[in-house]
Amino acid sequence: MHIQNLTLKSLHEGLLNKEFSAIEVAKKFLDEIKSSDGNIGAFLLTLENEALEQASQIDLDIQSGRPIPILAGAPLAIKDNILIEGKPATAASKVLENYLASYDATVIKKLKEAGAIFLGKTNLDEFAMGSSTEYSAFKKTKNPHDLTRVPGGSSGGSAAAVAGGMVLAALGSDTSGSICLPAAFCGVAGLRPTYGAVSRFGLIAMGSSLDQIGPIARTVEDAEILFDAIRGEDKFDATSVKKDFSPENDLSRLKNLKIGLPREYFIDGLSNEVKNGLEEAIAKLKTLGFKFKDISLPHTKYALSVYYIIMPAEVSANLARFEGVRYPGIPEIGENAKSLRDLYFKTRGAGFGAEPRRRILLGTFVLSAGYYDAYYAKAQKVRRLIKDDFENAFDPAQGNVDVILAPVTPTPAFKFGERASDPLAMYLSDIFTTQTNLAGIPALSVPVKKYKVGSGELPVGFQLIGKPFHEADILGIGKQYEKI
Amino acid sequence: MLSKKDLEKLAELARLEIKPHEEEKLLKDLTSILGHFEELKEIDTANVAPLLGGTSNINAFRNDEETENVPKEKALEQFPKKSKGFLKVPPVFE
Repeated sequence: MHIQNLTLKSLHEGLLNKEFSAIEVAKKFLDEIKSSDGNIGAFLLTLENEALEQASQIDLDIQSGRPIPILAGAPLAIKDNILIEGKPATAASKVLENYLASYDATVIKKLKEAGAIFLGKTNLDEFAMGSSTEYSAFKKTKNPHDLTRVPGGSSGGSAAAVAGGMVLAALGSDTSGSICLPAAFCGVAGLRPTYGAVSRFGLIAMGSSLDQIGPIARTVEDAEILFDAIRGEDKFDATSVKKDFSPENDLSRLKNLKIGLPREYFIDGLSNEVKNGLEEAIAKLKTLGFKFKDISLPHTKYALSVYYIIMPAEVSANLARFEGVRYPGIPEIGENAKSLRDLYFKTRGAGFGAEPRRRILLGTFVLSAGYYDAYYAKAQKVRRLIKDDFENAFDPAQGNVDVILAPVTPTPAFKFGERASDPLAMYLSDIFTTQTNLAGIPALSVPVKKYKVGSGELPVGFQLIGKPFHEADILGIGKQYEKI
Repeated sequence: MLSKKDLEKLAELARLEIKPHEEEKLLKDLTSILGHFEELKEIDTANVAPLLGGTSNINAFRNDEETENVPKEKALEQFPKKSKGFLKVPPVFE
């Protein structure tokens, strides 16, 4: 068994056919973490003992002929802003360094029921705020394809863990491209589901009208398996909805889906690598028989401004709870606080890094008296126009497309330090990903081809954007594409 | 656009301690970010209804029943200071 050739699907088949045991698989992946993660730095925590214990239980089940669920023995990594009961969930922030999760996130509960094994918690930009994972308070995560470059963010640890061969798949979260962007930079598949498709209960909230949890995996097929395991209505997340999902594997049906190419995404600023990658992807899809159509999403360019008003406003509210009273905070500050006010200011002052501070202040500003209408209320209106653009594109009487294909980012992975000191330059990394979050529609990042770590080639991804709750369309096309 | 005084007021509202040496960079960053937002003025939104959230659900109802999703003792474990099952905080009035 070569763990680098495994997928969630072949793992399941191999376990059922007794080609290998769950404990062998878990040990090999844990060894891979030990040998590779020193260089890559994807993990903030590994859960070796728990993983081996879970794996032995699965082997017992197989030996005694009990049916095993689809993800039994699947070695996964979980972004460290998703709660696993009794384990740290730092969100890569000093303010949560001493916190232990009191309960399982709904997605974790579902994955446990499906037999998945958690090998560890992965690094991220602090509170998922960033596009490179450089804003983590704890460590740098490197892109397995080039250790001088960032893995993307904010789910950079999860994408690097998958690309580095240390897990089969991972969970990330996405508020503005935080799954699709690192997936593209690391040459793996990533799905940001429709808003409401997956429960966020147990996800440390950033922008609540935007956040979604989704899978990052070696193949689109695996991303689909993981998505199917975590999706569904949850009474603990009132925005989650009940929807059916049936995977689509029939090329002749998929070919009827018309793919739109939005002119606002194919701009002069695209790097040659991305431009060529996109051309390659489109050409391959044409050989499968897919039809393309030029479309327009006229408000595309305003999305970043809208996002950087709405998200910080939500951040300033969501991060208010980290004040050193209800969460462990910073012990020495808690011991010496002279008053409640003193505790608040000092815990938050010392606990939050530069990016959360900027966003809290920005959010406080756009919501404050005298500025609310000019910024927050205006952004909500333009958000409507951005959503209308997609609705018009999908409307049979207007754009008449079913799926949209676009670049994920203007460039492949950039070097460390290139954008970290200039927040606006970092924000521009999200120029093609923030629109789908604002509209609440699904997006799938697919690598243009199979990128081998060590080849020296920098991965490029393209995104397939679908109608709300039509994940089956984009996953179906992605699965056909990766077969070529 | 933003003054030092504005920044201090925002920090006060957000209960966030800011060190004097951070102020210059914060002001520069926030001013350049706010400058970027000026582009939204180009768009006529007079007849546009605001989009208030990510969901198109109109409402979500549940039965008004007592439930316990995290046991009280579990939640209490994470409080840094507690007394008789309650949060303990430093003096509110200085």
